[in-house]
Amino acid sequence: MTDIPLIRLDDVSKVYHLESGDVTALDHVSLDIRENDFVAIMGPSGSGKSTLMNQLGILDVPTTGSLLIDNRDVAAMSTLERTHMRRDVIGYIFQKFFLIPLLSAYENVEYPLILKHKQRDTTGRAREILQAMGFDEKLAAHRPSQLSGGQQQRVAIARALVNDPKILLCDEPTGNLDRKTGLQIMDILVGLHGKGKTVILVTHDPKIAEYAKRTVVIEDGRVQEA
Amino acid sequence: MKDIFFELSVRSVRLNFLRSLLASIGIVIGVVAISSMGMLGTNMQLSVKEQLSSNVNTIMISSDVVRTTSSAGGPSTSQGVTKDQLNDIKNVAGTNTVIPIHRTNTEFTIGSRDGRGSMYGLDPDDIEKFLTVENGTSIRGANDAVIGSTIASNFNLNIGSRIKVGEHDTDSRPTVRVSGILQSRGFSADGINTDNAIIVSDEWYTDHFGDKDLYDQVNVIVEDVDTISDVEAAIDEKVNRKKDVVRIMDASSRLESISQTLGTITTFILAIGGISLVVAAVSIFNVMMMSVNERVQEIGILLSIGTEKGEVRRMFLYEALILGIIGAVVGGIMTLVIGYSVVSAMIGSTAYFFRPESIIYIPAGMVVGMVVCVISGLYPAWRASNMDPIDALRSE
Repeated sequence: MTDIPLIRLDDVSKVYHLESGDVTALDHVSLDIRENDFVAIMGPSGSGKSTLMNQLGILDVPTTGSLLIDNRDVAAMSTLERTHMRRDVIGYIFQKFFLIPLLSAYENVEYPLILKHKQRDTTGRAREILQAMGFDEKLAAHRPSQLSGGQQQRVAIARALVNDPKILLCDEPTGNLDRKTGLQIMDILVGLHGKGKTVILVTHDPKIAEYAKRTVVIEDGRVQEA
Repeated sequence: MKDIFFELSVRSVRLNFLRSLLASIGIVIGVVAISSMGMLGTNMQLSVKEQLSSNVNTIMISSDVVRTTSSAGGPSTSQGVTKDQLNDIKNVAGTNTVIPIHRTNTEFTIGSRDGRGSMYGLDPDDIEKFLTVENGTSIRGANDAVIGSTIASNFNLNIGSRIKVGEHDTDSRPTVRVSGILQSRGFSADGINTDNAIIVSDEWYTDHFGDKDLYDQVNVIVEDVDTISDVEAAIDEKVNRKKDVVRIMDASSRLESISQTLGTITTFILAIGGISLVVAAVSIFNVMMMSVNERVQEIGILLSIGTEKGEVRRMFLYEALILGIIGAVVGGIMTLVIGYSVVSAMIGSTAYFFRPESIIYIPAGMVVGMVVCVISGLYPAWRASNMDPIDALRSE
């Protein structure tokens, strides 16, 4: 493990300019996340959690301050470079699963591989990862609407993993699942952390946050390590 | 190997099949409209050209003097080529055939049925120099007439039939006897359209209609078509020496001007067909915008997990192209049927339908239909690719 953190937020602020006035969603936040860390981010609604997640997911750029991910300054990157970074370095797992409804489970997992290699998967990687999530050929041919919530979240995890990203960004991954299924999903995430992935988890649930190595609490756009 | 974005587009079209189909019908109508109209125009041009090109060796001379009416309200002075001018023309024309022509438009009666048509007065010796008598003989007796094929079939006329000629309100209407029926001539470049005409001898004509030694038109048929412009120039030099008294035209320039006119008409009807494509474009645009607006969250997913803007754009352009291909293929097939029927009904002949210059309108119309579709999809595709993924993911 190197001394340079995988993610470094240095005095990052995010200000939204609205008609009613400027809103500071992130207020001079500094935070380091090292490789193979498992961080839970907690905070009440409107605390700036989502804004922080958007920054970490390179869906947005800071208004001031610097954000380095994998040793690269996000603000200095072009739109296309940020797109490629999202594709290659980060795996997203969302509360609402966000699978592509027109694609089968298998195609959803194969999709990031196609984005990266500009061709259909011939290596069998998509199938292999989906099998590891408990999907056989028949189930893999189902569309998302034909799957249960737990199955959809497994497909989403498989999709997040298929390009072998360094970071797994999980936004309330158990929020739409029953307790039992939620715990199964958490077991999978713990297992992935054990295999070397850096896991960042946003959650409301303190019991879920207990899975993480450390918890970051965000309130009024400011970070307080718990 | 299938492109995943093409596959997504196909599935989107399939998911909204009815809506896509309805949008494509617009393109079908557009393609059928422009292809059929284009084919109609071309077939019209081809058919007229073919009819006219048999008389390209003819020079037509008519008076350039505007008809005037005397201030006392007396009889109008006729316009025409005078006997002197005719002699000048004959001198210049040399061995080429010169045909002086009297012409008017008149009523006629056959039995109890009335009709209206052209009446030509020709020297009987000239008739068979450029007209073909199909049945019977040319003019021999003083009251003989040869008639056009349309008049013959419309009025069931045979050799020996009698026709009363002249306006209905005149006291005594002379009668002619049909001695021969001409071969169908169609629309002719030499200005002599005989299908709906009665042709009598020049003597009979001037006896009953006047205008002796004053001709409505003089045709010069040149033996060698390559000399036509020299002969024209010589006639112009001789007859129009002091001022322009006659108008000289040759059939090929007339053919050119008719072709030009028909070309303009073709463009005009194509433009009318084009309006339906504009309507189709609006409907494709509408369907594409609906597709984008319904899939905002999906677009958000695609963009957030690393899909390039260009790839999102491509996906929607494929969708527009698929609608275009469906519309164009169906439209192309339907044009074969509808275009054929339209050409057959309007022109009466489909002899030119499968000529390359006519049939090309089908692939051309199909390509235009597809291009219109893709153009209609440009803005929706651009809009989709430029969405903010955060906002898009948040939408329900």
